[in-house]
Amino acid sequence: MKLLIKSATIVDQQSDYHLKQADILMEDGIIKKIGTAIEAKADKVIDIDGLHVSQGWFDTSVSFGEPGYEERETIENGLKTAALSGFTDVVLNAQSNPTIDNSAALYSVKAKAHANAVNLLPTGALTVKAEGIDLAELYDMSNAGAVSFADYKKPVSNPNLLKIALQYAQNFDGLVQSFPLEKKISGKGIVNEHHNSTLLGLKGIPNLAEDLQIARDLYLLEYTGGKLHIPTVSTEKSVALIKEAKKKGLDVSCSVAIHNLVLTDDLLSEFDTRAKVLPPLRTKSDTKALIEGLKEGTIDFVTSDHDPIDIENKKVEFDNASYGSIGLESAFGALQTIFSTEETIEILTRGRARFKAESSKIAEEESAKLSFFLPEEKYTFEKSDILSTSQNSIFLGQSLKGKAIGIFNNNQLIIKE
Amino acid sequence: MSELSVNHLLGIKYLQKSDIDLIFNTADHFKEVINRPIKKVPSLRDITIANLFFENSTRTRLSFELAEKRLSADTINFSAASSSVKKGETLIDTVNNILSMKVDMVVMRHPNPGAGIFLSKHVKASIVNAGDGAHEHPTQALLDSYSIRERLGEVAGKNVVIVGDILHSRVALSNIFALKLQGANVKVCGPKTLIPKYIDSLDVEVETNLIKALEWCDVANMLRVQNERMDISYFPSTREYTQQFGLNKKILNSLNKEIIVMHPGPINRGVEITSDVADSDQAIILDQVQNGVAIRMAAIYLLASKIKQ
Repeated sequence: MKLLIKSATIVDQQSDYHLKQADILMEDGIIKKIGTAIEAKADKVIDIDGLHVSQGWFDTSVSFGEPGYEERETIENGLKTAALSGFTDVVLNAQSNPTIDNSAALYSVKAKAHANAVNLLPTGALTVKAEGIDLAELYDMSNAGAVSFADYKKPVSNPNLLKIALQYAQNFDGLVQSFPLEKKISGKGIVNEHHNSTLLGLKGIPNLAEDLQIARDLYLLEYTGGKLHIPTVSTEKSVALIKEAKKKGLDVSCSVAIHNLVLTDDLLSEFDTRAKVLPPLRTKSDTKALIEGLKEGTIDFVTSDHDPIDIENKKVEFDNASYGSIGLESAFGALQTIFSTEETIEILTRGRARFKAESSKIAEEESAKLSFFLPEEKYTFEKSDILSTSQNSIFLGQSLKGKAIGIFNNNQLIIKE
Repeated sequence: MSELSVNHLLGIKYLQKSDIDLIFNTADHFKEVINRPIKKVPSLRDITIANLFFENSTRTRLSFELAEKRLSADTINFSAASSSVKKGETLIDTVNNILSMKVDMVVMRHPNPGAGIFLSKHVKASIVNAGDGAHEHPTQALLDSYSIRERLGEVAGKNVVIVGDILHSRVALSNIFALKLQGANVKVCGPKTLIPKYIDSLDVEVETNLIKALEWCDVANMLRVQNERMDISYFPSTREYTQQFGLNKKILNSLNKEIIVMHPGPINRGVEITSDVADSDQAIILDQVQNGVAIRMAAIYLLASKIKQ
């Protein structure tokens, strides 16, 4: 297939065309020519006013429910949502029923995403059934294509188990994830412990619950060596702890959920269950530290932490509601409320080697892995912006800036027109 | 002002000072009514009220029911442990089923904070929060302030200390909001394990020494230790708790002024207060109970008059 993109602004610091308008001609998934006013016969011409293009975006944590929670989301519609939200590569959590804790389950998930425009990178469960007791077959899953190992939001409560996991995974260069929450400290807490939890009588999760777990994990990592990823940090002190660990040379990476960057626990005032996420929304001083941490590179990744939850588990009393928010559709628009377009793109495209995601270049003779977006439009995020099966978006009603409109990847074009 | 600024009574923090004044002035009238030989007015003959108690309650449920009957409202009662509701039917469905029988107002006690607010957004009825988890218990706070006003003339400028389990207490939270709104000074007193870490963000001071707290205050509101809400031990023994935070007659007499002692009930005699304190002239615990009916009559009457519009 020949595809011609007309006068798109290229946002790519590695490209000679950075922040310049150019035409891009692609043939069979390869960028053939970049230049001004390319005249060529193409099967498809894209000419959209204000179109911007960058390297493909990457998300380290999405959940699509399948198998087991298809009412929340399917892999098929989840990947379509990712594509139309600008993502070419997504790391899938093992949060399904049954849990993806063996190579057969991993292959079946990969088969569902076969030949898709979006690359699905599965995470395998760290422990059998994600119960936190016995290690799952990490080596076997690694061979089957698992890019990391995690029990999603279930922390590894037993420090010796994490120690063993970090040691064992080194044989095959495995990336181990440890969710940062000390459950004995968080207790029955469900929201950030601060002014708003006090005001609303909701049980609080202190920052301490996260900080303590991260401090523990970093001590373990220092002892074991190996590769550790700490998903979705949310506190000021977490950033400082990880910064210090990186200085020491520990092989640790971390991510932050976009809602934890952009929103605070002030959103809880009406007991709106859409704002019930884990880690909980924190305070301004936390978001400030997270934003700085991301800019300076202490925090490696942002993630939508996309987690579709059906209405039956959200339209209930706050205590009884499930954690989680979808986030792919709002990711770009939300990031642009705090970062410039250049910064946003840099953040969405960096560090992919950590999760074995293919990198790309916007250059001639390179395979084309592109995200399309319109960065200027300001709008209120509404239900009509949601593409997911579940509608549990924490960003509903928020003012966002910029919309993704699609991708070109694996020689497939998925675009809103 | 002759009407409330709100359509539901979900918490004190959603009220204005003028709402409290209106409720108190209305309660003055109803207090006179309930002391008549015929303790009843026909005001709400056309109103049906459902009392939904998803959590155990004796005095609050009786007080609401009596208030409704004194106003001539029709009432229906529903009690269920939250667990039986969790088994199947959602809260919205339960309440909508009841409302479909043409009920105008719902008085609800529920173990989850914000349950009343949640309900008010999804069902068509006026909601009165009779306690939602550790969030609010607005009628209790109103009757507490009303009782202070009755005894001391006004609430503004008074020093009130709330003693005990602040962490698990909706009574404490609603009282803090109500007292601050009326211009009182509030301190909380108890073991640090039972005081929310960020309580100072509500403009409330923490005093961990009971004697100092009592010397400062005009009113001491002694809360019950809510053992049933605690997932772990917040103090080693009841004996130690009483040694540090129990109010006895000896302490009361040693103060250089006469303070008022309140308790929302039920009392653990010998734990947070001794019997001789509970039964003393300084305790207004039974006045609180009587005022509870008048306050609830006032709140229901004022909310019902908004429905009628």
